[in-house]
Amino acid sequence: MKRRKQIYHKNFSLIIAFLILISISLVFALALGYNLTQKYIENEFASQKIDVLEQTVKPYNDLFQNKIPEISFYQGFLDSASAIKYLNTIFTKFPFVERAFFYDASISNHKITNGFKVNNFTINPKAVYQFGRNILPDSVVLFKDNNPNSLSMRTTDEFNKMAVKFTEFIESSDTSKTLSNDDIFNVFYSITPNRITYMNIPRQEELKIFKNLMFRNQPPSLFYEQDMLTFYLNPLRLQIKNTHPELYQHILIKPLVYESLDNEPEIISNDIPLPGAFSDYKLYFSSNKAFLVKEVNSRFLPIASGLLIVYGMLVLIAYVIFRNLNVNSKMFKLQHDFIDNLTHEFKTPVSVIKIAGNNISSASHLSNHERTHYGKILDEEADKLNYLMNRLLSFTQIENKAIKLKEERVELSVFCENIINTYKLKYPNFHLHYHLEKVEYYKTDPILLASIFQNLMDNAYKYSLPEKKELNITIQKVKKNIVFCFIDKGIGIPQKEIENIFEKFYRIQNQYNQQGSVGLGLALCKELVNFMNGSITVKSREGKGSEFIIELPYEN
Amino acid sequence: MQIFRKYFWLCGLIILASCFKNKQVRIIPIEDFFKNPEKTAFAISPDGKYISYLRSYKNRLNIFVQTLEGGNITRLQTDTTRDISYYFWASNSQILYVSSKNGGIEGPKLYAAKRDGTHTRELAYFKKTWLRLITEKRAINDEILVALNKRDSTVFDAYRLNIQTNQLTLIGINPGNVTEWFADPEGKLRMASASDGVNETLLYRSKESDLFRPIITNNFKTTVIPLGFCKNYTCIYALSNQNRDKTALVKLDCVTGKEHHVIYNNQKVDIIEGMYSNAKHQLVYATYETWKQQRYYLDNDIKGMYTRLEKMLPNTEISITDQDSAEQKFIIKTYTDRNPGTFYLYTITNNKLIKLGDINPSINKEEMAEMKAVKYKTRDGLEVNGYLTLPIGKADKNLPIIVMPHGGHGGPSSRNSWMYNAEVQFLANRGYGVFQMNYRGSTGYGKVFWAAGFKEWGGKIQNDIADGVHWLINEGIADPKRIAIYGSGFGGYSALHGLCFNSDLYKCGASYSGLINLFTYLKGVPAYHKAFQAMSFEMVGNPETDADYFRLASPIFHTDRIKAPVLIAQGAGDPSVNVNETNQFVKELKKRNIPVTYILKEDEGHFFKKEENKWEFYKQLEFFLKSNLNKK
Repeated sequence: MKRRKQIYHKNFSLIIAFLILISISLVFALALGYNLTQKYIENEFASQKIDVLEQTVKPYNDLFQNKIPEISFYQGFLDSASAIKYLNTIFTKFPFVERAFFYDASISNHKITNGFKVNNFTINPKAVYQFGRNILPDSVVLFKDNNPNSLSMRTTDEFNKMAVKFTEFIESSDTSKTLSNDDIFNVFYSITPNRITYMNIPRQEELKIFKNLMFRNQPPSLFYEQDMLTFYLNPLRLQIKNTHPELYQHILIKPLVYESLDNEPEIISNDIPLPGAFSDYKLYFSSNKAFLVKEVNSRFLPIASGLLIVYGMLVLIAYVIFRNLNVNSKMFKLQHDFIDNLTHEFKTPVSVIKIAGNNISSASHLSNHERTHYGKILDEEADKLNYLMNRLLSFTQIENKAIKLKEERVELSVFCENIINTYKLKYPNFHLHYHLEKVEYYKTDPILLASIFQNLMDNAYKYSLPEKKELNITIQKVKKNIVFCFIDKGIGIPQKEIENIFEKFYRIQNQYNQQGSVGLGLALCKELVNFMNGSITVKSREGKGSEFIIELPYEN
Repeated sequence: MQIFRKYFWLCGLIILASCFKNKQVRIIPIEDFFKNPEKTAFAISPDGKYISYLRSYKNRLNIFVQTLEGGNITRLQTDTTRDISYYFWASNSQILYVSSKNGGIEGPKLYAAKRDGTHTRELAYFKKTWLRLITEKRAINDEILVALNKRDSTVFDAYRLNIQTNQLTLIGINPGNVTEWFADPEGKLRMASASDGVNETLLYRSKESDLFRPIITNNFKTTVIPLGFCKNYTCIYALSNQNRDKTALVKLDCVTGKEHHVIYNNQKVDIIEGMYSNAKHQLVYATYETWKQQRYYLDNDIKGMYTRLEKMLPNTEISITDQDSAEQKFIIKTYTDRNPGTFYLYTITNNKLIKLGDINPSINKEEMAEMKAVKYKTRDGLEVNGYLTLPIGKADKNLPIIVMPHGGHGGPSSRNSWMYNAEVQFLANRGYGVFQMNYRGSTGYGKVFWAAGFKEWGGKIQNDIADGVHWLINEGIADPKRIAIYGSGFGGYSALHGLCFNSDLYKCGASYSGLINLFTYLKGVPAYHKAFQAMSFEMVGNPETDADYFRLASPIFHTDRIKAPVLIAQGAGDPSVNVNETNQFVKELKKRNIPVTYILKEDEGHFFKKEENKWEFYKQLEFFLKSNLNKK
């Protein structure tokens, strides 16, 4: 008894310790998780701006890498009509391109009035056009070489820059080598804030010709066409692609020198400069702290719920372990009781036999009456022991499925008569009745069936008040089954005990079973019925009586 | 068990059949198709005592000389960088040859050497000049005529060059518009043709001291090609399509420029050649090309000679490539669609034929596929002729097809002919049917057909190609899922155009030095071809006024329409293409994840000349086609 208590106590403290430990872990993990999420969001706020930048300047890169080099495909053959067609595709696709200047230039060794000249090499604009949104038709043509004095510094600014670069290149380059990517970028592109100028890349052959024009005195040459386009860009018309609206509340394009002047501590901000022709501007990112907290919370939620699920599972496991331990300790108790009962059960007959034996041996002589008396006692007690042992044995056998059914035809009326007569002899105050309905015989093992009858009849007798020892047995066929009902008017079974009465070693604690009961009867019945592929159920009302119903398959 | 046995036999049969098939078609190595000719360009010395030829030496064609009997073989010069492109016997002891210097950057140069290989010298060498031959055969008194752009890099003047003393005499000053000079058999410069870009003028003078007088002027669409003079130099024989659609063989008066009469013409096709005999001072036959070349004889002796030759060499095409001065010994070349060419020496006196050599002995004609003439109607009812070469040992159904539009002179102005074509045979040997067509704009079918291709490079010409492919599919010959398009020059342009605008028709496409931008193509007409620019504008279009058409027809503007895998082979020195542009083109395709095979050779021009570069290209092409056409 002491040992059992110890075990029980120990388990409980372990589980408590376990629960405390995991609860502390949970709290710690939640705190850590929240902190990390916060850090993570802060990092994201700083790092994802590159992604936004990439997406935002994608059209610019497309313009720069694909559409602008396309000018070279025209090989200098662009004129105002084809240039406007080309530019219209640009204006529709890239809203940030506001205007474009188109210099229809020619290269030769002729004398020129407007243009750029190194040795004999001249490059001059034949015409300058201005295209763009909202440009009045009369301001499209800025210059034509049939009106030589109309060229202003403002319009030729980019042209001059490019012409200088190009002549410098012609002067110094090795024209037998193919152009490297560096040459192309340095000579044919000019990128200044909000402006990109591009000149078409001439073929290798032409570069050679240009070099000859520069350094040789040749007769007047052909005019070699070159196209130059200047694109005026407005960075404020770049479409901002906020790919992380959860991080950035506001993204704005601001001048590079811009700093927010409101010292509101609730605002977190960051910036990144725009590339290429937009390098005077930057993307300015800002978010309210509360906004970010919301994001932290929403990211933290799945983490927290994950942790809680794990925690819940651990608690569940702890509970299951606890329950198992409980059941085990109950089992332990039941077994202990059983042994107690059994010992008791064996002790009585043994002590009676012992007393009888002592009496016989200590008596100087035995009268005839005494001899028969002792004989009868010894006989009865031996029977009792035998009965106990048989029962134990058969139970173990059934449990281990070690017995075999010996089926034979049982005439039910004969069977019932016999068993009732035996009980009437045994308990004269026990009123037994039986009733058959639509059934005469049953094919089964009579010994097992008798065992079930005996158990249930014993119980009915045992758990009935002396004046109400009464049992009605009805046997009937219902569909393919045979149903045995044992209805008594005993003390009944409390509702909460009904589940347990078929358990092994279970006994209801009351005054009727102080002795001679080991809690095996109903368990044995259930085992037997199961063994015969049937079922046993019970209905009971406390103080009124119980009804045990056994259903067994009826075989023809 | 029964079923198993049945299948077992079936499997066995299939294996047997495939073994049989494999035996039939041997995969011939690429090198065998595209190696330099073993021996080619046979020629005979004027006295008929020596035979010369080009033969591979260290993988480059060099000139060799031997006696008629094959003794005394001498290698005339040593050139291991470039093949000799042209040579001829100037006299009994002198051979002149043309070779490019500095890897072809500088243009062709003229050299002379003695028959025994001594006294090799460079003639008329000036820096940065190009040289063209006016005399192509035989020097007269050690003098030949050449054209040089020495005085002005944009025009070629005519000079008389003494090949012994290297003395150069200016005999014809080019006023700037002369595009070609012609000499009579005595070596006198009597004719010139001039062009102002659109109109061509034929000029004549009776004496070298006289001035050239124009005799005929015509639009560039009309051609008058002088072939030779009549006995007293007052009239010429010429190929002319003046006032007619198809070129005819005519006799022209040198003074009035009027046609005496038509010597021969054909209703369906142009006359492409008139053979002039210097010994007889007259035309001996005319050649016209229907589905293959045919001859019309104008001289009974020649007719007799060809008849005898045809009897000795049945089922082949015969042509005379050279002869001695006495016209007694002839170099004969024979060829078929399956034979690259064999040279013979024919002596007229004893009617004897001696085999001199094969151009490519590695090619066994039994393993080559037959080239069949086909024709189809286009969507606008035009009849287009073409050739179909189907692989040996395969049913004529559901075949993988390579569509091969021809190129030529930078544009479409050329035609496919019935003859051995290494590319075609190579592709047929690899199991593909090869489809070639003479779409509108091709030459040989008359002026109208040719001019129908003007400004239609990206238009009706491409429709003709696509219509041909549809015809081939309807005939059941082509497997519509396994058609590729491949070509060089204009053919490469057509391939890229097809990938852009007929992308559902082709599984993949390959362009070998193909044009990708018409703007660049027009810019690429070199400065000394200034005369051709106006003509180019009429044939291709004006890049300024037709900018929209140029944009629409140039594949470089339409990379976004290409969906199929592309192979592009390009020599960096190709003047008709800007390599920066090709790079940009490839870059854009790659950006769109289109599989691109790009073969760029820095040391090559329009076509790959070096054997190893050719082999690499064809190996890549073979792999490209195999990986794209063999998966169904």
